[in-house]
Amino acid sequence: MAWVLRRIGASLLLVWVVVTVVFMAIHLVPGDPAELLLSQGGSAPDPAAVAALRGQLGLDRPLLAQYGSDLVGLLHGDLGLSLQDQSPVAADIAQRLPRTIELLCAASILALGFGVPLGTLAGIAPGGMLDRAGAAVSALLLSVPVFVVGTLLVLVFAEQLGWADAGGFVPIDRSLAGHFAHLAMPALTIALGLGAMLYRITRAAVLDVALRDYVRTARAKGVAPRRILWRHVLRNALSPVVTVFGLQFGALIGGTVLVEYVFNYPGLSGLLVDAVNARDYPLVQGIVLVISVLFVAINLTLDLLYAALDPRVRGR
Amino acid sequence: MRRLLMPGGMILLILAAALAAPVLPLPAPLAMDIMHRLAPPSVAHWLGTDEFGRDELSRLIWGARASLAVAGGSTAIAAAIGTSLGVIGGYLRGLPAFLAIRAMDVVLCFPPLLLAVLIVTLVGPGIVTLIVALSILFLPGFTRLAYAGVLQTRNLDYVEAQRVLGAGRARIMLRTILPNIAGPILVQASLTAAAAVVLEAGLSFLGLGVVPPTPSWGLMVRSAREVMGQAPLLLLWPCLALSLTILALNLLCDRLRDALDPQTAPRRRRRTMAAARPLAGAAATDGDATLLAVDGLTVEIATPRGPIRPVRDVSFSLGAGETLAIVGESGSGKSVTGLALLGLLPGAARVSHGAAVYAGTTDLLRCQEASLRALRGSHLAMVFQDPMSALNPVHRVGDQIAEAILAHARLDAKAVRARVVALLRRVGIPAPVARARAFPHEMSGGMRQRAMIAMAIAAGPRLLIADEPTTALDVTIEAQVLDLLAALQRSEGLGMIFITHSLPVVARIADRVAVMYAGEVLEQGPVAEIFARPLHPYTRALLDSMVPEGDGAEAGLPAGIAGNVPSLLDLPPGCSFAPRCALRRPACETLRLPLNEVAPGRFSRCPYGREIAAMAAPIPAARA
Repeated sequence: MAWVLRRIGASLLLVWVVVTVVFMAIHLVPGDPAELLLSQGGSAPDPAAVAALRGQLGLDRPLLAQYGSDLVGLLHGDLGLSLQDQSPVAADIAQRLPRTIELLCAASILALGFGVPLGTLAGIAPGGMLDRAGAAVSALLLSVPVFVVGTLLVLVFAEQLGWADAGGFVPIDRSLAGHFAHLAMPALTIALGLGAMLYRITRAAVLDVALRDYVRTARAKGVAPRRILWRHVLRNALSPVVTVFGLQFGALIGGTVLVEYVFNYPGLSGLLVDAVNARDYPLVQGIVLVISVLFVAINLTLDLLYAALDPRVRGR
Repeated sequence: MRRLLMPGGMILLILAAALAAPVLPLPAPLAMDIMHRLAPPSVAHWLGTDEFGRDELSRLIWGARASLAVAGGSTAIAAAIGTSLGVIGGYLRGLPAFLAIRAMDVVLCFPPLLLAVLIVTLVGPGIVTLIVALSILFLPGFTRLAYAGVLQTRNLDYVEAQRVLGAGRARIMLRTILPNIAGPILVQASLTAAAAVVLEAGLSFLGLGVVPPTPSWGLMVRSAREVMGQAPLLLLWPCLALSLTILALNLLCDRLRDALDPQTAPRRRRRTMAAARPLAGAAATDGDATLLAVDGLTVEIATPRGPIRPVRDVSFSLGAGETLAIVGESGSGKSVTGLALLGLLPGAARVSHGAAVYAGTTDLLRCQEASLRALRGSHLAMVFQDPMSALNPVHRVGDQIAEAILAHARLDAKAVRARVVALLRRVGIPAPVARARAFPHEMSGGMRQRAMIAMAIAAGPRLLIADEPTTALDVTIEAQVLDLLAALQRSEGLGMIFITHSLPVVARIADRVAVMYAGEVLEQGPVAEIFARPLHPYTRALLDSMVPEGDGAEAGLPAGIAGNVPSLLDLPPGCSFAPRCALRRPACETLRLPLNEVAPGRFSRCPYGREIAAMAAPIPAARA
């Protein structure tokens, strides 16, 4: 239990670090947000207007004061106001975030669903048909960027075959079937690359574990092969799979941003791209913060899962 | 190295095309021709034109420049700065260096694309921004790698030696440490370059990377998307270019890794759970009190340099309630013999010859995997050498013992639990109820081996094969475990094959002993007789090399055996011990003799037993 509390404490510390780094990035990077915001036409902005905007955004206050009020705001769930329409950033994000999380979950489930079983089958029969085919297919899937996969899927299914459900979004309370139909294509797009990665890791882990002494011990006990596979091989092979899943999660979030954009899926991605283009730095800051915190939370969850899988970790 | 040619060549080709773009006879990539927008491929425009009538092929090749500039630039910067920081930090060590390097890990708290987007927001898009942003993203990877590599390398003997010889710090870093970590850095660089290509394309695709009208593959996908109804091919070219580039970089990374670490190289060898075993003839003995009769057991392993036989023509028999020790040096084939009997040989090895008749009826070497599995645990059990690796780390010890019971009997959970506790108590584990819930890593080495023994006897076997069960234990624990095995063997009437390299252990536990050398049994017989009067020069030499047990001063020093164990790839044609034998005669080097019964109950491959026995005063008999 102490271990779990320590891990949670470390994650909170990490969240604070993230907040601080984002704050520093915005305020210490050369170039003034107000100036950037007003200079979009290309000509040098009017100094008076810049000063006025700085006052309005509170940028003229001492850095520490700004940092303090930002932190206090954060604790209240206040991420500031969007520069574009003065709407609260937190509300904008709260509306979009669940959709992104749903997409992430759907993609992860799909990827786990085919990556881990196929990787296992390849790992217990290395050099077999499946293994050789899997090596080629996974290499290919890992080499095609996720937005390319998405765009090509849109090209084939929406443009050529005329499926209407390849883009956009239907709220779940309007049409259950429509909701999942619109979720399917982006989720599959993300799952292909992620699944290929999971396939490779699972295969390598199974191959490694199958040679361990304790598998031989299980065989010496007369345990049935199926049970050896489940209880001894897979159970131990899961730990590296969990680790790699955690390591891949950053890339997965990046991929999700791109895929949402490709499929016109109204998650955080569209909000982010618009915010960057409009130099709406409070909104960008808010989104980066929220996703990074999500990232930290996922890694914490996976760490705890890892400990649940491997009793040796818990003692430390 | 040859496997690096293909991906390396692909990358060089892409690089060359990008570099040569200004001198190639291509239309200007920015020259618009609205009249011929979205033209299909033609002689003038090999890949057609885009939505502004610009030449697609030209934009594709010029687009490679953006991709490669960002990938190459950010990788080079990150590798140079990151590696230097890691090397310096690792070499100086100390808390400040450690903290400085850890601080960089802050970058890893952010999803990479998001951090890049944040930087683009603050600085504005463009190729230079991308290079800077991606360099920051990739920095910690290189620093960590170099730091870890230096920590590993700096304490190696030859680095220490250089320090002692007075080499300067900078010199040591440049000459010895860098080459050592160069391999992993190179792998990381190819991985990073691929990631950079992906990120640049992704950001440009979002409109946050390269600024139009500069051609970039990500931007080309972005604009082709708008017109994909009319010109689907326009979408295909940049997608293809991107994917091929990333594929080449990924392949390069994989193959570099394989080249640097042969262990991860793809294993061509086919491994199946149950191997077919074709056998050459062997006679089954008729049923009597013999528990196990092994006749001519030969194990073969196919290697690239031809088959080797780590076990050749091994024969012995074992009665119920009897303990046979198989003694020999490492590599003598004693463990392989034990594994072969249970059908647990590793994938590449197979039994090529021989028979092992269990209980007068079943030839273990010809059993199907399924019937062999029914015998394992319930009739034949094995205790392995290192209980830490032989026990599954993620399951409770009690559950692992229960598994051995349940593999052969249908019992309800309560009965199984009671039986597990009884078994743990039986092998002398205190507080068995609590211990059953412990994980292997929570037990001491001796305790783990006791649990291993409990697991082996859980399903009531009649034959126990103990493969160096005390090698991983210290001396006092060794004595306890030996006593436990001896007591179990007596009370259960087990037949036991005890594999060991230790003659004192043999003297302590066994009734009979088989001495193995280079895959063969050289001598076999009752322990007391063999210790008193060895009939093979190798046994004799082994006994002479034992640390004398009596007073050190009187007993004298142990004698070593000259020479080395022969390689299995290059065995002597005659007696396998001949090259090291003090009594060698010319015939020994050509003539290979079978294991003969030279005296009642005494077997030896050496015809000069009488002379060995007469050679010197008998060695003080060990307490058998």
